[in-house]
Amino acid sequence: MSTKNRSDKSSSSTTTKDKYTIILPTYKERENLPIIIWLISTELEKCFIDYEVVIVEDNSPDGTLEVAQQLQKIYGEDKIKILSRPGKMGLGSAYMDGIKKSTGNWVILMDADLSHHPKFIPQFIEKQKKLDCEIVTGTRYQSGGGVFGWNLYRKLTSRVANYIASVLLTPGVSDLTGSFRLYRKDVLEKLITQNKSKGYVFQVEMMVRANQLGYQIGEVPITFVDRIFGVSNLDSGEIVGFLKSVLNLFMNIE
Amino acid sequence: MGASDKFIGFVMLLFSIFVFAYYTTWVIVTPFIVSDHWIQQYFLPREYGIIIPLVLLVVGITAIGTFLGLVMIKSKKNK
Repeated sequence: MSTKNRSDKSSSSTTTKDKYTIILPTYKERENLPIIIWLISTELEKCFIDYEVVIVEDNSPDGTLEVAQQLQKIYGEDKIKILSRPGKMGLGSAYMDGIKKSTGNWVILMDADLSHHPKFIPQFIEKQKKLDCEIVTGTRYQSGGGVFGWNLYRKLTSRVANYIASVLLTPGVSDLTGSFRLYRKDVLEKLITQNKSKGYVFQVEMMVRANQLGYQIGEVPITFVDRIFGVSNLDSGEIVGFLKSVLNLFMNIE
Repeated sequence: MGASDKFIGFVMLLFSIFVFAYYTTWVIVTPFIVSDHWIQQYFLPREYGIIIPLVLLVVGITAIGTFLGLVMIKSKKNK
């Protein structure tokens, strides 16, 4: 993997141009997929960013794969790559498989259900260049960021959970469970192979390990829009599960 | 939804500031003020400065423990 050599200031331009791969794990996103692809395409073309999208499709029963293939015909096979998997095999493995298919040197992870708006991607890239960091994470908890579509209870639980995890694990970022992030490809690969958690805590462990390994993490405030249609609920079992996993991580992390 | 949440948050903030200021004054300032000064009537007898937080702590931990216990029992039953 080629990395910019800091001491080599004499070269006036970087030897490799940056290419950004957006990995989209999809499951039952038939209606959202065209919209998100269009948003990605318009937002990134506006800023002349070299990108590609890898759709990791986990055999949705609603025909998401067909929609993806049609989109591939429209936008071109160099812009949209499809990886079809036999079923839901977890986020970590979806990211790893997506990385194998990617040709960029940077990877952006985001949700395909329109809770993350691609307009923030150019801001991530700008932040990365400004701080020369390896990771940029979207944060809902800094000034300028936030959540739309959650009631007070949900917001409170999210904040408290984030605070508890923060106190126990001191990750150096303000939003631990967020999943809208930019990683340098080799850094992402390294972090995923070490990651042992599932669900929300997977994202937490990414940040904790990154911090441990000494990677610089930049933050960009984002707005998270939860489910324009329908309501997403957090049941008490999930809360306890989260706390248990965080405690487990706290005990087992070196 | 956002405006009312902001309002509730603001009220919570004001409440916490008030409690903090009251408790700090109570525990740190009042012992140095003459016992028949008029301001002493706004503060409870000093033992409550320990009793009330202790009671709140015990009740709080019991509530959280009960909640966790109930959820874990429910999840074991579902399995």
